[in-house]
Amino acid sequence: MHGSAAARASRKLARAAGVAAALIVCSAHVGSPDAWYEGSAGPYHVVIQVETPGVVPGIANVFARVTGAGVQQVTVLANRFDALAAAPPPEAATPVEGDPGLYSAPLWIMSSGSNSVTVNVVGTLGAGKTVVPVVVVADRRLGMNPKLGAGLAGVGLFLLLGLVTIIGAAVREGVLPPGEQPDDRRRWKARTAMAGAAAAIALALLGGSRWWKSEDTRFTRNMYKPLTATAAIESTGNAKSLTLMISDSIWIMRHDTAWLRKNNKSRWTPLIPDHGKIMHAFMVREPDMLAFAHLHPATSDSVRFRSALPPLPPGRYRVYGDIVHESGFTQTVSTAVDVAQRSDGPVALTDPDDATFASPPAAGDKAILADGSVMTFQRVSSRFVEGRSASLRFAITDANGNPAAIEPYIGMPGHAVVARDDGSVFVHLHPSGTVSMASQMAFTMREPGDSIAGRLGKRMNQMDSSHFAVPPMPADAVVSFPYAFPKPGNYFVWVQVKRSGSVLTAAFPVKVDALTQ
Amino acid sequence: MVFASTCIVVGLIWDISWHRTVGRDSFWTLAHVLEQVAAVIAGLSCGWLVLHTTFAGGAEERARSVRFWRFFRGPLGAWVCIWGTMMMITSAPFDNWWHNAYGLDVKIISPPHIVLAWGMMAIQIGAILMAVAAQNRSGAENQQLYRFMYAYAAGILITMLVTVIQDEASVGNHMHASKFYIITGWVIPLFLIGLARASRLKWPATTITAIYMMISLAMMWTLQLFEATPMLAPIYNPVTHMVPAPFPLLIIIPAVAVDLLMRRFGRGNDWKLAALLGLAWVGSMVAIHWFWGEFLLSPAARNFFFAADQWSYSDRLGPWRYQFWGLDTDAAGKWSMLSFLRGLGIAAVLSMIATRMSLLLGSGLARVKR
Repeated sequence: MHGSAAARASRKLARAAGVAAALIVCSAHVGSPDAWYEGSAGPYHVVIQVETPGVVPGIANVFARVTGAGVQQVTVLANRFDALAAAPPPEAATPVEGDPGLYSAPLWIMSSGSNSVTVNVVGTLGAGKTVVPVVVVADRRLGMNPKLGAGLAGVGLFLLLGLVTIIGAAVREGVLPPGEQPDDRRRWKARTAMAGAAAAIALALLGGSRWWKSEDTRFTRNMYKPLTATAAIESTGNAKSLTLMISDSIWIMRHDTAWLRKNNKSRWTPLIPDHGKIMHAFMVREPDMLAFAHLHPATSDSVRFRSALPPLPPGRYRVYGDIVHESGFTQTVSTAVDVAQRSDGPVALTDPDDATFASPPAAGDKAILADGSVMTFQRVSSRFVEGRSASLRFAITDANGNPAAIEPYIGMPGHAVVARDDGSVFVHLHPSGTVSMASQMAFTMREPGDSIAGRLGKRMNQMDSSHFAVPPMPADAVVSFPYAFPKPGNYFVWVQVKRSGSVLTAAFPVKVDALTQ
Repeated sequence: MVFASTCIVVGLIWDISWHRTVGRDSFWTLAHVLEQVAAVIAGLSCGWLVLHTTFAGGAEERARSVRFWRFFRGPLGAWVCIWGTMMMITSAPFDNWWHNAYGLDVKIISPPHIVLAWGMMAIQIGAILMAVAAQNRSGAENQQLYRFMYAYAAGILITMLVTVIQDEASVGNHMHASKFYIITGWVIPLFLIGLARASRLKWPATTITAIYMMISLAMMWTLQLFEATPMLAPIYNPVTHMVPAPFPLLIIIPAVAVDLLMRRFGRGNDWKLAALLGLAWVGSMVAIHWFWGEFLLSPAARNFFFAADQWSYSDRLGPWRYQFWGLDTDAAGKWSMLSFLRGLGIAAVLSMIATRMSLLLGSGLARVKR
């Protein structure tokens, strides 16, 4: 992809090529914080996983699987989107024992928000690098391990008793000339001092515990939460539309500097379109997940996003909206909406790339697509385990069993959506992984003056469409998605490809086991 | 013990500078090793002293010790040092958990760091107790040595205190806000006045604060000589040399006032003395630091000697560098003399209370002989 172009071309051309690749896809997530990227780093093929730290500052673990002859060194470095003044020296990634081609390195991420991990590969084929955008936020609160808690409490109690004893000894004997024995008055004074010290320590402990609680409350309050959203179905005549509104006051008031300052909020950067689409929205029916839509609503104010409602069976739907900010920060806003009854007659779609699917999932590993071709889930392993790299490979064959000709769908050979049955995990995948390529482009194109909101986005919008290269379609008609399921449970994976101008969708139920099983 | 105490404060100042310059650290950075070695030296030597005194101590050694749990014997300072070492060790797993739970500290003052700071300060207080006991017991020939050793140990503790409060009270930008005078108004007198009372030097508070100034200046000038660059992102301020702690506070001037007042009124009523010293402390702090803050924000201070305007690699430089922070304002958000004076009133009251407590502790310290 863009890396191979970068190796051949000048810096400017490399940047343009980077932009070309970057405009292709976008993704965000719910409950699936690791970043995955598959692509090129110069002449090398890489699959990169970044395990985010969960707290900031914290350590992210970077794993890079490098394919290509003569790899000599793999280095990684993290940086924040707006730190253009300088970058820290890269860290050498070390080969993982027993797994040739896999390198890993821990990386300190000091600042939350839109960060990037740059992976450099040096070898006999030359050097290559790639930038993986990573959203780093505090998204989990760690409880105290009971053993550690008990140990600390025990030692703490011992130390407190020790302190009271020392204070008693100081008052009883500390001021006596050497050799003199304390009299009763001194002993009594010592006991009083010990009681006073114990009371003072108890007060200090109470203060300390309140302080801890307030720090914990502040941490919990400041933990990342996606912007809040609402959704509604609106009817105009016979036509129905879905309106997804980002209702969060931080977003609605984002231009009001005084309000932001008063409420101690930092300003979100504006949205940038991803392959011409300002939002990628998904509808998944609850709880059976038997109906699904992939829509591209339009907006005029970046607050209300409207899309014609495609024909969907009635029910309650969870609605997800993937957006990319100019900083490179990606997020998924989510809400729910009730669809009362299926629309009658043909629906004028808002976007030609909109697609729906409301059929039973594949009973096994083979799904018959709407045009009669077959999608086969090529499972590498008989089971999926949480946190383990899951090879999600799908082969598309025609009625005769030959590889079917597939066309680019929103600039990609295929799209996949992974959702857990309780809605706690949702992620939009591409063959290039979970990372947002629009965000990757924002990192590549950012210049020092881009601290002005909207400047970078404007430049990105003005890009000549000839830059929007489409990757070659796989000759074997196999699409694969790098990913690891974040937790055990029952999932659905929807896979979308395009043939003869039609978007074809298949759904596969997937059971993911816990790591300990 | 005095050596261990010095290592701790030097290691701490070095470590903070490291975090502001380089960022990436490990258990084994030299600054950390210095602190750990100091804790181990303090803990082991005092542990040995206690065991020796308990099981093999001569009559004289045992006579100048205090009992612990009716059996163990050792000098008072040794017990405090052992306690401090154990506090420092305990803070390690607590701090580690804290980093995992809430992220690496971006602030100096966090609950596990306060546990660590009390451990460090206990080692320093232990050194002070050993030195003051020696001063209080000694005959004419060693008096001067012990007096200075005690003042030095006290100076280390003051250096430690000023380091702990540096997020709120250190740079010129802090010095027009009443918060600066509130914090320095109670934290420093709470220890300094009592330490001065127990000293037998002619100018005790002055000497103790002079030692603080010397240690701080030596660290400030030395650190700046070393080239270093940040190793963590984001780098908003690409520094090229170690970023030192700011120029020391000019507490030596209020300390001169303390010494003069203690000479004149030191033997009278401690309540009156506390009121007088508290007022004098806050009054002289304002009189000096109001203008000293202005100087530190001026171009004249942006040099090697005064080391002003030096910021961490992660600071986004902006006009705030040359502005006063946390100013006392009215409801409309404008600087208000009234609210500044109200803040100074709080500072004076807190300073008087801290001074009274410190005088009490100082009286006890002056009599410690074991």
